[in-house]
Amino acid sequence: MSGETVVFACLDADTLGGVQRVTHTLAQGLAGRGYDVHVLGLHRAARPFRYVEQPGYRRHVINRFPAGRLSWTAAHRERHRLRGMLRTLGSGFAVLSSPGVVARLKDVIPRRLLPIGQYHGSYEHARGSWHLRSVGRDYGRLEKAVFLSEEDAWSFSEHALLPNACAIPNPLPGWPSRVSPLTRHRVLGVGRLEGVKRFDRLITAFAGASRTVGDDWELHLIGEGAELGRLRAHARESGVRDRVVFRGAVPAAELGREYLDGAIAALSSEHEGLPLVLAEAASYGVPSVAFDVSGGVRSLVLDGETGLLAPAADVPALTAALTTLMASHEERRRLGAAARAHVEAFRLERVLDRWESLFEQVLR
Amino acid sequence: MIKAPECSVIVITYNDSARLPRAVRSALGQSLRNIEVIISDDGSTDGTESVARALRREDRRVRYLRRDVNSGGCGAPRNDGVAAARAPYVMFLDSDDELPPHACKSMLLEMERTGADFVTGQISRLHEWNGRIKPYYPGLFARRRVVEGIAEEPDMFLDSFSTNKIYRTSTLRGLPFLEDLHYEDHVFTTELYCVARRFAVVPWVVYLWHRAAEGDGRPSISLNLQEMDNIGHRIRAARLSDDILRGNGRAGLVADRQRRFVRHDLPVYLNPLPARGPVWARKFSRLVRPYLAGLDPGVMDGADPLVRVCCRLILDEDADELVVAARSLTTPRAAPRFAVRRAGRTYWGTVPKGELDITPLRMAELPYGAARLRHEAAFHGDGSRLALTVRTYDPFGVLATAPDWRAFARFGGHRVELAPRALDDGSYLSEATVDLARAGRGRFGHESFRDPRISIVRADGRATSDRLLVDPAAEPVRVAVPGHEIVAGPEGQSAFLRVRWRRRGALRWLAPRLGRLRAGLVRRLCAPRVKLRVYRTLIRLLPPRENLVLFEADVGAGYTGNPRYVYEELKRRRAPFEMVWSVAGNRRNFPADVRLVRRMSWRYLWTMARAGHWVDSHGLPLAYPKPAGTRYLQTWHGQGVKTVGFDAPDLRADFEAPRRTWRGAVARWDALVMPSAEFERIFVTSNGYRGPVLRHGSPRCDVLVNGDPEAVRRARERLELPGDRKVLLYAPTYRDRAKFSGASVRADLAVMAEELADGWVVVLRTHPVERYAVPERLRHFVRFAGGYPEVNDLMLASDALLTDYSSLMCDYAVTGKPMFFLLDDWEEYRRAERGVNHDLPAIAPGPCVTGTEELIRAIRSLDADPAAFTAEHAARYAGFRATWCAEERGDASARVVDAFFGPVPVPAVRPAAAPEVEEVR
Repeated sequence: MSGETVVFACLDADTLGGVQRVTHTLAQGLAGRGYDVHVLGLHRAARPFRYVEQPGYRRHVINRFPAGRLSWTAAHRERHRLRGMLRTLGSGFAVLSSPGVVARLKDVIPRRLLPIGQYHGSYEHARGSWHLRSVGRDYGRLEKAVFLSEEDAWSFSEHALLPNACAIPNPLPGWPSRVSPLTRHRVLGVGRLEGVKRFDRLITAFAGASRTVGDDWELHLIGEGAELGRLRAHARESGVRDRVVFRGAVPAAELGREYLDGAIAALSSEHEGLPLVLAEAASYGVPSVAFDVSGGVRSLVLDGETGLLAPAADVPALTAALTTLMASHEERRRLGAAARAHVEAFRLERVLDRWESLFEQVLR
Repeated sequence: MIKAPECSVIVITYNDSARLPRAVRSALGQSLRNIEVIISDDGSTDGTESVARALRREDRRVRYLRRDVNSGGCGAPRNDGVAAARAPYVMFLDSDDELPPHACKSMLLEMERTGADFVTGQISRLHEWNGRIKPYYPGLFARRRVVEGIAEEPDMFLDSFSTNKIYRTSTLRGLPFLEDLHYEDHVFTTELYCVARRFAVVPWVVYLWHRAAEGDGRPSISLNLQEMDNIGHRIRAARLSDDILRGNGRAGLVADRQRRFVRHDLPVYLNPLPARGPVWARKFSRLVRPYLAGLDPGVMDGADPLVRVCCRLILDEDADELVVAARSLTTPRAAPRFAVRRAGRTYWGTVPKGELDITPLRMAELPYGAARLRHEAAFHGDGSRLALTVRTYDPFGVLATAPDWRAFARFGGHRVELAPRALDDGSYLSEATVDLARAGRGRFGHESFRDPRISIVRADGRATSDRLLVDPAAEPVRVAVPGHEIVAGPEGQSAFLRVRWRRRGALRWLAPRLGRLRAGLVRRLCAPRVKLRVYRTLIRLLPPRENLVLFEADVGAGYTGNPRYVYEELKRRRAPFEMVWSVAGNRRNFPADVRLVRRMSWRYLWTMARAGHWVDSHGLPLAYPKPAGTRYLQTWHGQGVKTVGFDAPDLRADFEAPRRTWRGAVARWDALVMPSAEFERIFVTSNGYRGPVLRHGSPRCDVLVNGDPEAVRRARERLELPGDRKVLLYAPTYRDRAKFSGASVRADLAVMAEELADGWVVVLRTHPVERYAVPERLRHFVRFAGGYPEVNDLMLASDALLTDYSSLMCDYAVTGKPMFFLLDDWEEYRRAERGVNHDLPAIAPGPCVTGTEELIRAIRSLDADPAAFTAEHAARYAGFRATWCAEERGDASARVVDAFFGPVPVPAVRPAAAPEVEEVR
């Protein structure tokens, strides 16, 4: 198999973001297995970020300006450049990372590059936006449509009538050798401080749980964003001003230390695709409490086995789940150990194996 | 090295060399690359062999088998193919059809995943004349699943194709196709269902069944319905299938297989029967009768009432009436010529007989506007004129109850009065001549059609109309008019009259090109971006006019809501304003004297730019800034338990742009009508509004406080609400994840009709973003009022309200009338679907139910003892009114107008900035 070409195409491959991180991780991994890998960004990032210090793959940027509306001539120029660039590549696979990318590349990919579409959101999220129609229209014509979890793939096959849906999870960037002792009384919430993450609900639940369990617990929110002011006010109103700690952004390299200091990872988002923060926490043996909002969440957190799930947006249920874990170190240990074992499947090598068997399936 | 193929695609063909390459290439283009394509030629004589050999030269995966003599069916070549197959899995393809690219691989993977004995998937008809794809019984395939044997889902007998499936080759070798039968796949699938322990079903399209336009070359076997022989084969296939089931110890499934015959096979011949005539019908009946007579008891029970009537007529050897009845099976599902009513039941024809019972269609109980009459017409051309002779049957005695009715033949806007003559049998005969040159054509340069109708107008002006049935074999009448040709002739299987007009001559060439040119220009010059830019320039250059007011309610849907009552108050005071209304929907929803401007038209943008006042209830185009100096009165259209503004699903998703737009839109408001303190608490914070508020109640609720007998009369008349029945207003709100799907109508109206139709009638008010059509069999009980222009009329005319989470409940509480709440999806709605700010079951001012049965019980309890019902809910009703309606005193319009337009505006109070409101449980 190795020796084949694999092109990963993104809207902007070098912006700081989850999709891009996954893309560069996979690209480096497959390059390590002998594939001729290319990462293609349709647009230059406004603030480029370097994911891999010594990439074993080549990078290409088509438009030398950030993503935005394309004029008719710019779109024409883009197609011309894409054709020219893709012409130089050997036979293999083109992995297209979003509905927008599929729409822009589907007519310019040469036949020897077999197109595979990825969708990084949940079915629930696609259903509420233009994505569902777009995926239903375009992805069925590709060789494969790759979703984040088996459940998402199933939903797309039933509701978007995709005959080629399958699932490969996103990989964990690393695998720690040490695990958290889970003794420090700290709940972690990791993510941008934006409305969709609904950290206000987490703060409410945390306040409720610590009223029951005791006031030596802290909630650490790691990330920055526009909601900071509102969330601070909400923490104050909920009576946990001193115990909700806004940590700001923490570099990826130092996040491991945070997990080692954590006892519970919590997720209160309105929407999530496959929230890798839960997988990362699990790799450090930290169990999760999360709203049950997508197949991706359910594939990461087995309720009662590797963490606890609360029905979507059910704050009292989230409170109860948090209370359970905060009250029992024993329970945290049990779930945390199982969680670490469970997310072995998300280790990079396993995920790369799955990509390779997907390539084989395409060629059957 | 060549690997053994994973799947054999067997393409059967007979004298079809033109289409064979398309079929074979669709197989070769499969995403499953490792296949073999076996062309199994049933002794073609048309050069198929050379075409097949050329295909083999193109691609070595193609193999070619050939019979020396044609077998006359599909069974023999399929058996040949199976015998030659080298792969462990097999699919079949007919030479006139196609496989979608993932058909083989997707079903093969499903087979491997589930370990099923075979996999079946959606088969879709591709209509070659218009390119449309129509799935065959999509309900059968909607869920991706494994079925543990046919007994688990006997409806799957409807899927009797051999082509939309993948099989294990070993299975097929044990189930050879019959070779002397056209419907060999019916027998084959019955056997297959017998032996399969489990099979998998996939919802995506795995087979494209090409349907050629009729008269296009040689019709394929399944289309050649004219042949009596064909019917014989189908019945033989049915008998053989029944025998197979009995022989395999599955006698219990025979009735299910026969139900399929009545539901599907029979209508295949009954639907086109009107065009075949009585002689054909007699022969057909003779062929079918023995099989129908031997059906298991109970098979007919669940059948469509009209199919059941047809079966009875076949058994009674009444071929003439069978032709009459068959015309009621397809559009326009015509009424019978005669019907009789006995003891509350309605029967087809003149004799009340069990199987002729058509009561469930409820045709006899429809309100006058929806009443059904049967018009059978003969026509002939006379120059540009169409001479009609119409016989009108009134099976349900509608005309007898409407004295002084007049009849018209209506051709679109053109109508001709008829002079009906009563005949002895109760029917009427009339004649008319219509000038097609005047009546038929629509706008110049357009192509379209129109179905003429006979309209019967009652003395009070209310009309009922039906299409005209004509002779299916009648020769169409053609009339040439400048630029067009008009053709009047029979349409559809039931043959109703349709008038088509087509462009002719130079116009035929010119019109589409001009149309495209115009569309292109409109797209470029009137693009939203262009309009917004022009508008921005306008508001920079032109000052707004103080005395121009722009009104908009429900995004231009009508003349209603708060803006309407503010407008009427201004009008009553003869305020010196020039007032303009925005219209997006039906112009007839507005009074004649109102000045209208089409929403988003250039004139609308001009009006927006020039108006000194905007009055609206949803949001004038959100991205459009307000001119400096214009004052915007936001009156909002409702209050209630649902989350709103930034807490509503459309704005809390992971996209920032809509939030930015909405923030800008809210910033335009200069005053906000505040119906209640509770609304103020929630709405103001949820939308981040910082401006003045007018705490005077809702102008739209004044009429609910003060009453309006005229509105009640208007609604009762327009909706034909019978005086002896109570009115239940059913107003469900929409579901955010299923707009325009009909999903919000969650009460089982059919069950309610059964139980409540004696005492109640339902007025169904769906939300504007919902789409729902009331089936005819419910129209005796349900009046659709989704498009009724003024919802206040409906509230005033009703006796009780049924809703789920609609904001209507807060307005309705003003009336003090009983309310019912159908909250079957409360948990889902509260948590995920929408989100709420109140615990509705705890505060609802009436019974909260979770199902139709429970709802019926609650309505019965109101019927039984209204006083006790009221007393039971009095405390919560009072609390609910105190929360939402405390400000409603019947003079809100006047106070809002004083506050916003009057010389001394009420001083504004800024509400304190509060954090996000958490949901209350």
